[in-house]
Amino acid sequence: MKITIKYFSWIRVKLNKSQDLFEIEENLKFKDLKLFLIKKDNFFSEIFSDDSIKFFINFKEIENEAIDIVDGDELGILPPVTGG
Amino acid sequence: MIKITNKDFSLDDLYSNIKSHKNGAISIFLGTVREDLFNEKETIEAIFLECYEDLALKQLNKIRAEAIHKWNLNNCIIVHRVGKISLGEKIVFIMTSSPHREESIRSNEFIIDQLKTKAAFWKFSQYGDDLKIVGAKEKDLEKNLKWKDVIKN
Repeated sequence: MKITIKYFSWIRVKLNKSQDLFEIEENLKFKDLKLFLIKKDNFFSEIFSDDSIKFFINFKEIENEAIDIVDGDELGILPPVTGG
Repeated sequence: MIKITNKDFSLDDLYSNIKSHKNGAISIFLGTVREDLFNEKETIEAIFLECYEDLALKQLNKIRAEAIHKWNLNNCIIVHRVGKISLGEKIVFIMTSSPHREESIRSNEFIIDQLKTKAAFWKFSQYGDDLKIVGAKEKDLEKNLKWKDVIKN
């Protein structure tokens, strides 16, 4: 299945891209997706250990890492916001 | 009305959208690009605002609905710009209308305090060709927290 990951602010700058499209195996939970991403790029371990960063699946904040990831999902990785 | 735009906007046009004989008070907050007072060595030329638009619209709608419900507003307009915005130009506009002044003033402050810490926008300062990320401010989080009990009641 395919999932899109969107990057913002300093994460987008550091990765030098605003999104990725990953092909991943079926029946993954968010906690499994984290391991998959860390394996792809160790930079993700820095992201996942930063408490100030929030994660959204299809525009809803992830509160439980056991949430299922399904085909077509969009994961947003958000550093603290600074609008206004 | 909620709008995210990469273009400047007219205050008169927005005002005409909220005019009503039911209003006894209209409050306006307009955020603009200021010089960076904390960096005397460099002069800011502009800011750049990035946005996760679908999420930001959802968040702004939620903030607006909370304000209308809590203060029984007649109407509320929120406009936020994205992209490059030059020194002195408008960034964010909030207009609230109600029969009496207290509701429009309090709700307007609530909306900007919520927006600052909950809506998916990110600011960069531009110095020449350099873009520097603007970090989140502790005082914005503190301002947001003061509304916790108000919204509960």
